[in-house]
Amino acid sequence: MLDATTSHQRTGGLLEFDAVTKVYGQTVALSQFSHRFEPGRVHALMGKNGSGKSTLVKILAGVILPTAGTVRVNGADTAFHTPHDAFGAGVVTVHQELSLIPSLSIGENIFLGRLPMAQRFGLAVVDWARLHRDATELLHEMGLDLDSHRLISTLSVGQQQVVEIAKAMSFNPQVLLLDEPTSALATREVNLLFALVRRLRERGVTILYITHRMNELFEIADTCTVLRDGLFAGSVEMAQATPSLIVEMMFGETAKAKRPVRKTIDRSGAPVLAVSGLTRHGVFEDVSFAVHRGEILGIAGLLGAGRTEVMRAIFGADPVDAGSVTVNGTDVTAATPKRMKDAGLGYTPENRKEVGLVQVLSTHDNLCMASLGRIAPSGFITRGREQGAVTRQIADLAIKVSEPMLPVSSLSGGNQQKVVIGNWLNTQPKVMFFDEPSRGVDVQAKRQIFDIIWDQAERGLAALFVSTELEEVLEVADRIVVMRQGRIVAELDPTATTLGELYRLCMEGPSK
Amino acid sequence: MTAALATKPGANPAIRLLKAYPMEMILIVLIILLVFSAHGFASLRNVLNVLRTGSLMGIIAFGMTAVIISGEIDLSVGAGAALAGCIVAWVCGALVGSLGGPLAALIGICLAVAIGFALGFSVGKFRHWFNVPSFICTLALFTALRGIANLITGGFPLTTFPNGFDFLGGGYLFGIPFPVYVFVLTFAGMHFLMNFTRFGRAVYAVGGNMEAARLSGIDIWWVKSMALGILGALTAVSGTLIASQIGSGTGTTATGMELDVIAAVIIGGTSLFGGKGRIWGTLIGVLFLGCISNGMTLLNVSEYWQYVVRGGIILGAVLLNQVLERIR
Repeated sequence: MLDATTSHQRTGGLLEFDAVTKVYGQTVALSQFSHRFEPGRVHALMGKNGSGKSTLVKILAGVILPTAGTVRVNGADTAFHTPHDAFGAGVVTVHQELSLIPSLSIGENIFLGRLPMAQRFGLAVVDWARLHRDATELLHEMGLDLDSHRLISTLSVGQQQVVEIAKAMSFNPQVLLLDEPTSALATREVNLLFALVRRLRERGVTILYITHRMNELFEIADTCTVLRDGLFAGSVEMAQATPSLIVEMMFGETAKAKRPVRKTIDRSGAPVLAVSGLTRHGVFEDVSFAVHRGEILGIAGLLGAGRTEVMRAIFGADPVDAGSVTVNGTDVTAATPKRMKDAGLGYTPENRKEVGLVQVLSTHDNLCMASLGRIAPSGFITRGREQGAVTRQIADLAIKVSEPMLPVSSLSGGNQQKVVIGNWLNTQPKVMFFDEPSRGVDVQAKRQIFDIIWDQAERGLAALFVSTELEEVLEVADRIVVMRQGRIVAELDPTATTLGELYRLCMEGPSK
Repeated sequence: MTAALATKPGANPAIRLLKAYPMEMILIVLIILLVFSAHGFASLRNVLNVLRTGSLMGIIAFGMTAVIISGEIDLSVGAGAALAGCIVAWVCGALVGSLGGPLAALIGICLAVAIGFALGFSVGKFRHWFNVPSFICTLALFTALRGIANLITGGFPLTTFPNGFDFLGGGYLFGIPFPVYVFVLTFAGMHFLMNFTRFGRAVYAVGGNMEAARLSGIDIWWVKSMALGILGALTAVSGTLIASQIGSGTGTTATGMELDVIAAVIIGGTSLFGGKGRIWGTLIGVLFLGCISNGMTLLNVSEYWQYVVRGGIILGAVLLNQVLERIR
């Protein structure tokens, strides 16, 4: 079975899964997965969020052990207790997040933790000459023209990704796992990466390639294996595959999301928020849309499509290069978060733990943080004056908090999210940006948060809604714009769109 | 204080009190011990002396508390205090002939306070514009300001103060040293500022999480710069009082004061990571340090041992806070 088309001694490994299952508490993340990944080919692995893809990656990377079942490499049973075990068996994973140290050279990064040593005057010292010689040889072997002495911080993201793969290759793997290697790359750099992947395939390395981008599959993969809800949904040769076949495998029979009855939105008047030609070079280009009073506009797109970046830029948290933003007809382009707040905008950020809340402060203080100016127009403030705003949000949003004076860090994820929302509702905003409001909260809290958003829209709030879960965007929004690689590529009516269609638009755009 | 009260009720009220107000309890125990063991500790003259010494450092410590809560630090307060004294002395020397004593002194003090504020504020702006950490910026000022102070005086004490100027640092009002009034006023003002103004709340938010505060529409650099500016102004006030007390503007005065100030703030329970701390706690820290130095001197403990003990106290206070954090 071994691939003999290459002159190299390195041959690809045969990777087999036999009824591999992973259970977390009550949740079955991966169920009875059995498949054979033939050596020396590029195997794409697809599946939406929560399909069991990441579980599979973690098992192969030695991060977790399967609850049941076996993984075999070249016919030998394996159990990866640590990443080191996985390396030993010839399985190396390149994770989505880069793990290079920016202030060190390429060569040092590649051999980090196993620097070549030499004896000088009876002392073991780092053999820099050998390190850079080996690194250069490795880079050249892979067809990369990079100076091993260069610092990682001087490289583009694409070059860094390539160095990451070179580092993985220095372990001489039989199976190389690439987890969404293109998610942060521009088109030109994707080509650099693909050239490298093809070269590695020629050398006989078995490659597992995880991606969300449909068009990449047809360009780089030989086969495509799909997971759905922790189950094996099928595997096809790319030569026989079509985009619609793969989408069908990913989603199966999908039920329409249940939506509450929403009143029709009056789009005849002037929009509350209008964005026109907004551009930040290399991040998003020419983004235009408008939101009306009482309307929830969903922004759909894959990770890295530019959804969060657009919202942050409108809110003044990041700079923009071109375009304009108007709120209620007043131009507020290139503002600061403070000015946007004064103009009536609110923003609940996607990572609430890191930037949405001040964890050391109390729930009380966090609920008043954005509205201090409104509560205390003269600058002087008392707990008593804040109390009304705090009590109102705790009651309206049903925040479960035993003692508002204790640090907000003691609350559950869902309740913390409600505090972030309550903090902004206290400013009585006209427009709210909800960035991943359902991330990391339980099902019940998620329902409550959606109810809050609908309820506020009913009262006249205009909202932008972003979620990685496309089902949620379909459910919550009144209208959807689809972003792909920093551009708006489509506008949809969620009541007339299926999940499969939306997913396809996010992945490849309407033209194909 | 409200957060401390909200701790779980324990079985023993004494233990509960100790958990809620650890430093307060320790300070009371220390004072009782010193009253009985150190001869002369409880005398009125000694108490006023402790208060006067503590006041000069405490005025700065209240400002430092706000700066540390905002997530910054200022190492230049000792040098800043020396500089302020020299500026006042120099202005007095230049203007006393033409304008008379009181007016010359007033102009000198105003100028010193304005310069102190401007220096502090620009440390914040340096952080904003050039991303220079306040640690580095104030480390530079730590040496530079002392140099400038000595350049102003020419290396000798400037004894150009008008008659009656010594009242500020050394005088008594209704039997209590004048600096104590300034100290109490500063405490009240900073306590009010941190707890009852928008600015104070913003300081906590900015120090607790800069990005969250920025995304909440708080002007984080203005808040940090203002905190540093206020500290700079308070440093100048204290520096003026010190100069008045010793009767001259001297470039070498208040050496090492920054460490005492930061120690008092930390003993008071303020976190160096920012976002946490109380002006009240710093008051306890200042009194605690004042009592322990005075007590040790009265007990004839050698100066070298005093340094060691003070080091131990700083470490012990931080450990205590960490342990309390865990059991709360």
